[in-house]
Amino acid sequence: MLPDWWQLDVTEPFTLGPRRLPGRIWTASGCFGYGLHAHDFRSPGGEGPYAGIGAVVTKTVTPAPRAGNPMPRLVETACGALNSIGLENVGFDAFLADVLPALEVRGVPNIVSLAATTPEAFGPMVARLHEQARGYAHWHGVELNLSCPNVAEGGHDFGSSAATVARCVASARAALPDRALLAKLTPNVADIAQLAVAAREEGADAVSAINTVVGLDVDLRTGRPFLPRRFGGYSGAAILPIALAKVDQVVRGAAVPVVGVGGVATAADALKFFALGAVAVQVGTAQMRDPFAAAGIARALARGPR
Amino acid sequence: MIGTPISPVSAVGRVTANRYVSSAFLRLDIDLGLPFDFRPGQFAMVNEPGPGGWTFSRPFSVLAAADQTLSLLYRVVGRGTAALAELPAGASLQVLGPLGTPFPAPTAERSAVLLGGGVGLPPVLAWCERWGRKDDIACFGARDGAEVPWELLGPRWHVSVDRPNGLPPGRVAFTGVVTGLARTLPGLPGPGRADILACGPLPLLRAAARLAQERGWGCYLSLEEHMGCGYGVCKGCVVPVVRGGSVRNATCCQEGPVFAAADLPWLGEEDGGRGEDTH
Repeated sequence: MLPDWWQLDVTEPFTLGPRRLPGRIWTASGCFGYGLHAHDFRSPGGEGPYAGIGAVVTKTVTPAPRAGNPMPRLVETACGALNSIGLENVGFDAFLADVLPALEVRGVPNIVSLAATTPEAFGPMVARLHEQARGYAHWHGVELNLSCPNVAEGGHDFGSSAATVARCVASARAALPDRALLAKLTPNVADIAQLAVAAREEGADAVSAINTVVGLDVDLRTGRPFLPRRFGGYSGAAILPIALAKVDQVVRGAAVPVVGVGGVATAADALKFFALGAVAVQVGTAQMRDPFAAAGIARALARGPR
Repeated sequence: MIGTPISPVSAVGRVTANRYVSSAFLRLDIDLGLPFDFRPGQFAMVNEPGPGGWTFSRPFSVLAAADQTLSLLYRVVGRGTAALAELPAGASLQVLGPLGTPFPAPTAERSAVLLGGGVGLPPVLAWCERWGRKDDIACFGARDGAEVPWELLGPRWHVSVDRPNGLPPGRVAFTGVVTGLARTLPGLPGPGRADILACGPLPLLRAAARLAQERGWGCYLSLEEHMGCGYGVCKGCVVPVVRGGSVRNATCCQEGPVFAAADLPWLGEEDGGRGEDTH
């Protein structure tokens, strides 16, 4: 049963900055690969895992390919998981050559997640992306990964300064005239709204909140952290209240459209973000467990006013 | 790839049987309500339905499939599998599968030497049930006689045990490791005439690769790795593999769990490559 205040249909197109996106339920970066997996998966309902999804935010790509961190990379906790994948990715060249055209051919609505080691590196990446894909119907925008906390040379410090966030957004915005630009914010700061204000002032169309929460778990057999790099990004059901609080702070403190992300596993979870004013919601860790998770939430919230 | 890939299915199934088939192993039968097929070596991810249960589903090798029923074999190793063992008939389970790269299908020129250790039995048993021929050799190793799921093993299976206690009357077993058992068997194929297909703990896989090298056989190993998603998106279960002359990470869930031993450069190392920084 949907509550009376709910008036949206999340599978209807909506406007975000200069772009119309096909829907409001997205998959979060790093949690559904590049959007090329699971196309042949079946379910009793007959609908595929991409049905009704507004955008796949692709796994973050960096200028050069990355092998990622040593194993183990995942630690399951009571109500979530820690990850330390280390931004393993094919690199920007291979992404442009192989992944993005495949997404266009398959008709997967997508937002490209980018990370770089300097703020000014975003501009040239976005310019190349735009040059190649400006004619693509299914490429809708860019999400700047400013907050992946487990990359040694960037880490959460990279996106935890409003001045740095501003430089990243400015660099990307200058090269992205006609697609949505989002900055994904870290929750590991005292004042997330300040980051969102910085992003808005430099022209971001929205912010995604939140990225993973810094966490650690100890292997009692050895007395040492499970993860070789000690810290990981905490995600899953446990961070939903944290994400809701951060989204609320941004919505009320920054006057910028917010895409809610963090701990969403059900339609009810997603509704909580919409209730706070989020314009779209991303499904992360739950998508790893169930490739049909986002599609199921979109279906559940597809009905308009009754 | 063997023939046309089978599209994985995501469904909530109903437990039809869940019982011990030896002192250590349980067989779980799940009616998925729709046809299910797999290739030997593939696995399924299992979890509670709905948002409860584990954050990540757990991978289990497929033991068998008949029409709409999927069968798994498992051992209680932690809280999750302990809870699984308590599930009564009629309980619901979320299943995603079949997933992963299977063992190669048989070829006319080469026979198969199947080596299963402990809970690594399902993929090699499934291979044997589907494709086993007269000349293929099947060996299973367990800790002791009571741990062996005798009812699942046909007369062609040779059995090894670490300790010879717990053997049912009339059953015989070789005392020692499963590769040791294989070496004692008469009529082993010559060089280039067989492939080892193995699944089990890492020492077994290492011993299998050494045996294959000694005999001039091919060798395919099913690796056990903790997994996040099971379908290739999270990159949480990578193993270093040789591809095109260089080493790169491969997902155990999608590019594996079956790999050619020749592609696993770390297999001979003591720590199994886990201490390596893959940067």
